[in-house]
Amino acid sequence: MKELRDLARQLLTDGTVDVVVGWEDSPRGARPIFAATPDDADKLIFDTRCLHNLATYLNPRRKQVTDLGKLALVVKGCDAKAVAGLLREAQLDRDRVVFIGVRCGGVCEDSMAPEPVELTPETIAPRCFGCDNREPHLVDHLVGDPLPEPPAPLLTLDERVAALDALTPEERWEYWTAQFDKCVRCYACRQVCPMCVCERCVADKSRPQWIETASHPRGNFSWNVTRALHLTGRCVGCGECERFCPAGIPLATLNRKLQLVVEERYLYRVADDPEVPAPIGDFRLDDQQEFIK
Amino acid sequence: MSRIGVFVCHCGENIARTVDCETVTATLRDHPGVVHSEDYKYMCSDPGQALVKKAIEEHDLTGVVVAACSPHMHEKTFRRACAQAGLNPFLCEMANIREHCSWIHDDRAEATLKAIDIARTIVEKVKHNRPLESIRIPVTKRALVIGGGIAGIQAALDIADGGHEVVLVEKEASIGGHMSQLSETFPTLDCSQCILTPRMVEAYQHPNITLHTWSEVESVDGYIGNFTVKVRKKARSVDETLCNGCGDCQAACPSKKIPSEFEAGLGKRTAIYVPFPQAVPNIPVLDRENCTLFKGRRKGLAKDACGKCKEACLKGAIDYDAEDAFVEEQVGAIVVATGYDLYSIGREQPEGLKGYGEYGYGEVPDVIDGLQFERLASASGPTGGAILRPSDGKEPKTVVFVHCVGSRDPDKGMSYCSKICCMYNAKHAMLYKHKVHDGRAIAFYMDIRAAGKGYDEFSRRAIEEDEAEYVRGRVSRIFRDGDVVRVWGFDTLSGEQVVIDADMVVLATAIRPQAGAKELAQKLNVSYDEHGFINEAHPKLRPVETNTAGVFVAGACQAPRDIPDSVAMASATAAKVLSLFSADELEREPAVAVVNETTCIGCLSCQRVCPYGAVEVKEILRRDGSVERTVASINPGVCQGCGTCQAVCLSKSIELETFTDEQVYAEINALALWE
Amino acid sequence: MSEDFEPRITAFVCNWCTYTGADLAGTSRLHMASNVRIIRLPCTGRIDPLFIIKAFERGADGVIVSGCHPADCHYTSGNYHARRRFAVFHDLMEFVGVDPGRITFSWVSASEGAKWRDVVDEAVSKVRELGPFTAYRGLIDHNVSADHFEGLLTAVRADPAGSEAGQTEAAQVGAAVVTDDGDPS
Repeated sequence: MKELRDLARQLLTDGTVDVVVGWEDSPRGARPIFAATPDDADKLIFDTRCLHNLATYLNPRRKQVTDLGKLALVVKGCDAKAVAGLLREAQLDRDRVVFIGVRCGGVCEDSMAPEPVELTPETIAPRCFGCDNREPHLVDHLVGDPLPEPPAPLLTLDERVAALDALTPEERWEYWTAQFDKCVRCYACRQVCPMCVCERCVADKSRPQWIETASHPRGNFSWNVTRALHLTGRCVGCGECERFCPAGIPLATLNRKLQLVVEERYLYRVADDPEVPAPIGDFRLDDQQEFIK
Repeated sequence: MSRIGVFVCHCGENIARTVDCETVTATLRDHPGVVHSEDYKYMCSDPGQALVKKAIEEHDLTGVVVAACSPHMHEKTFRRACAQAGLNPFLCEMANIREHCSWIHDDRAEATLKAIDIARTIVEKVKHNRPLESIRIPVTKRALVIGGGIAGIQAALDIADGGHEVVLVEKEASIGGHMSQLSETFPTLDCSQCILTPRMVEAYQHPNITLHTWSEVESVDGYIGNFTVKVRKKARSVDETLCNGCGDCQAACPSKKIPSEFEAGLGKRTAIYVPFPQAVPNIPVLDRENCTLFKGRRKGLAKDACGKCKEACLKGAIDYDAEDAFVEEQVGAIVVATGYDLYSIGREQPEGLKGYGEYGYGEVPDVIDGLQFERLASASGPTGGAILRPSDGKEPKTVVFVHCVGSRDPDKGMSYCSKICCMYNAKHAMLYKHKVHDGRAIAFYMDIRAAGKGYDEFSRRAIEEDEAEYVRGRVSRIFRDGDVVRVWGFDTLSGEQVVIDADMVVLATAIRPQAGAKELAQKLNVSYDEHGFINEAHPKLRPVETNTAGVFVAGACQAPRDIPDSVAMASATAAKVLSLFSADELEREPAVAVVNETTCIGCLSCQRVCPYGAVEVKEILRRDGSVERTVASINPGVCQGCGTCQAVCLSKSIELETFTDEQVYAEINALALWE
Repeated sequence: MSEDFEPRITAFVCNWCTYTGADLAGTSRLHMASNVRIIRLPCTGRIDPLFIIKAFERGADGVIVSGCHPADCHYTSGNYHARRRFAVFHDLMEFVGVDPGRITFSWVSASEGAKWRDVVDEAVSKVRELGPFTAYRGLIDHNVSADHFEGLLTAVRADPAGSEAGQTEAAQVGAAVVTDDGDPS
C-alpha cells in the first residue's frame, strides 16, 4: 500500500498525471477514488475488496473522465486485460494513461465489507480461480508484494458451466429463460463492462429494431444472448456484469461459456497483450466446422 | 408512401403449371403498399416489359417486383426496363417463384402459398430499397493470359491485335502447350507444329505481348478493371537478355539421360535444355533437380561438380546463382487458359481415385497413352516418326487402341466423356496404318463420338480406307505374356470374348485439368467443379466468363475440348476483354458498404475483415481543426459488397447498399407467423 | 405434435453459391419439401446471428444458413468469418437450450443442386420431428401478469441470486449452481 501511495503522490506532484484512479476505503467498504491531490493519494488502498474493474473508466464515451486530463489507473491482472482489449480496438490513446499494476492474490465478492476479507473457499470470487495474470504485464509500474495463489472456490465458473452442460437441452432452456425472464433491461451490465464501448449500442438501434427494448422474455433473450455474442473473445472475465446485475442473472457463467468455446475451438486465451489478435474477426483455413453439413 | 407494382409471370407453363398465378396476383394486389398487380405469360418479352413500363407511368410506382425466374436470369432485363421508364433500376427486384418454387414442387396449393410468401417477402424488401447510382471505376486496359497453349496464344493474339497490351504467363519453358507435342491433327491430318509454330512466333514477336515463360502466377489482388498480379519468374539459370539460342550449352551438358517431359517419357534430354527445337522462346532452362552441379551444391560440396554449360556459353548467359524473381503487373482482365493433362492410369493414383492397374500402364512398357503415341508418330520424336514399341524398338504389327480409359466411369474414374478421344483414336489408327501398311489396328470402343465438321467422315475413313478394326466392347485386362501384350476384351455385337495378342497397346486416357488448377482458381477467386474444371458463369449463355467479374476462361481448363473449339473459345474471351476495354470507365453496381460516422467508434474490426482493403481510417475534425475522433471510411471503388464488415460491426454502424439491415429485417418480418 | 404440423423454415443463403445451387436444383427439377423460404444475402459473411434470432421471434421453427465452401467464397474470406461466428453461435444456442437440430449450417456450391435438395429435405424432416418451436413461442406469447411481476420483485430483493418461488425445478438446479450452495447435480 505504501508503495502504491508513494508512487501516486509522485505522479501527481511532478505533473505526470492529473488524477490517479484507484480504490479507497470508505464507510461503504472499498470504492473507486479519483485522487487529484497528494492528500487524496494517501487514501489509496489495495485489498481483497477491490473488485471493481477500473478500466471501465477508460471508455472514450465517458467525457467527464477524458476531460480530467492525463490519468494514472490502478489495475489488477483482469483489469489489465480489459485495457489491452481497448488498445486492440483503438479505443484508447496509450499516451493519455499511465498504468499502475498491482500484484493480486484474488478478491472476494463483497466490496462493501467493513474490513478486508480473508480469502477462503467460501469468500473467494469464483472468477479468480486459475488466474494467469496475477502480475499484470501491460503496465508502466508494478507495485505490491507477491501474494499467494487464491484458494479454490466452492464452485469454479468452469464447474458451473459444466453443471449446465450436463443438463438436458430442455432443462437448460428452462433455466436460461427463467434467468432472462428476470432481466429488467437496466443495462447495468453494459454500463459497467469495460468492453462495452459502442457509442450507440445495437440494443438502442431502432431502424430496424433487432432487439426489442421492453422487459419481456422475447427481447430479454435476444439482448442477453447478443451481448454474450458480442463479447466473445473480448470478455476478460472480470465478473462485474454479474456483480452489478440487480436481478441476479448469472452473466459471468454465460460469458465464461463463450470464453471456453474460443479456447477450445481457436486456442485463444484473453491476454493483456494488445498485439494478440481477437479470435472473432480472425480465421484459419483449418477452423473447425464439424457443425456444418 | 410505397406504391409497389407486382408483375407475376407465367413463364409459359413453367410457372403457371404449378403455381396459380391469378391467385398470387390477386393476393398481392391486397398487400399493403401494392398499388398495381398483374400477371402475364412472358414478362421478360417485349410486350411483358412494356406492361412494366406502362404501369410505372400510369401508377407512379415507387418500386417494382417481378415474380418470375431467378434474379440471376433477368434482374438486369427488368432493371433496364425500369430505367427506360424513368424508375431508378435499383428499385426493381425479382421474386424467384420458378427455380425456387414451381420447378421444385408439385402440389399446386403448397406451391401457390409459397409463391405468395416469396412475392410478399420481396415486396417488403423493395419498400426499403433506395434509388442508387452506378459507381464508375477506371479500367486498366491490359490483359493477363494465364497459359500459353493454343487457347492462350489465340486469346493473347486477338487481344493484342485489338490494340491492347497482353501479359502471357506460361509455366513451362516454352509456349505451345500439348498441341506442340502432337504429330498431326484431326480432321485434316495437318502437321500440328506447322500450324502452331507460326502462331507461337507471332505471339513472341507481337509488340503488344509480353511473354513470361518458366513463370507462374503467384498472387492476384484487386477486382475487375484493376487487378494487381504478382508473377513469379522461376530461376532459369540462363539470362534471357544475353542468350542467343545457339544450343552450345545443351551439346556440352554431360547429363543426357533425363526423361524428357516433352517426349512424354519416351525420350531423353539434357539437364540444360530447350523442350523442343521449335521452342519459343528458344532459350534453355536449367533443370536444377537433375543437374550435376546443383546436386553437388545440395550435398554441400566445396567445389562445383560441373560447369560445362557455362564454359561452353560464349555469351556468358549462364548464371548458377539466379533466383526466382517477381514481377508485378497491373491488368484489367484475366483469361485463364491453363489447358489439360492426361489422367495417369497406373496403379499409383492421386486423391482417392482407383485407377486402372489392370491395364498394366506403368508396368508394361508397351502400354502407352495418347500423348506418347503422338511422340512416336512425330517426325521430330524419339523414334523419328517410326512407330516402334518402347520395350525393344521393334515395329509393332498389331496395335490395340482402347477408348474411354478413365472417362464415362463414375465408379473408378471420371464421370464425364473426354470428347476428343474417339477422334484421336481414329487418327492414331490411321497414322499407324499409314506407316505400317501390313499392321493391324484394332480399336475397342463404346460409342463413336465424332460430332464436329468433317469428324464423322474422318472417323469412317479410318475404318473404310485404312482398315482399322473397330470392336464394340470393353477391355478387362492387359498384361505381358512373353513377347506379346495380351488384351482380353469383349465384342458386344457378336457376343463373344476377344483375346488379342498385340505388340503395343495405346490407351485413350481421360482429360483432366492441369495439376495446380484448383490452387490457381482459388488465387483468382473463381469457382471450379468437383473435377477441378473452371466453372463458367452460365453453361449456355455465358460460356467464356466466370462468376468473378473480369476473369474469363478458354479451352480445356473449362472442359475437355479439341483444338477448333479451344481456338473459338479463346477468340470469344478476347471479344469479351476487348468489350470491357472499349470504355474508359466501368459501371459497377452500387452494392457498396457505407459507414455511419456518427455511431462508428473506429474500432476498425471492419478493416480487419475486409478482403479487398476497402476500409480506410478517417479523422473527424472539430471546428478548430483538432481531431475529435477517428472512424472507418469505405472506398466505394474498392468495396465489392460482401457485407462481412457489417456483420462484424458490433454497433451496426455500417450498411451495405442493396442488402441493408432494413431490407433484411423486412424480409424476415414478411414471413412472420402473425402480424 | 400433430400430424398436420408443417415446419416453417427461413433460409439465409449466399447469392453466389447456395442461391445459385438452389437455382440449379430448380433447373434440374429436383423436387423437395416446400417449407423453406429463402432470403438472399451477398455472402455468408453478411449473415448476423440477429437474423436467426429474429426469424425465431417471427415464428420460424427452423433456420438454414448456407454458403460457399471454404476456399471458394466469391469474396475470398466472407465464409471463413461466418464459420467462426456461427461456430460460436451454434455452441451458445446449444448452451441456452435451443436444439441444434433447429439450425442447419451447410456449404452448398453453385453446382450442388442435389446437395441443396438434401439439405432442405433433411432440415424439414428434422424440424418436423422436433415439432413446432413452442418453447420459443412461449417466449413470444408470454404474458407477464402483475402478480407474477410482484413475485419476481420480492424474490429479487430477498435473494439476488434468484429465489425458488415461481421457478421451475431446472431453474432451481441452476440457481444452486449460481449461489455456491454446494454440489450441483
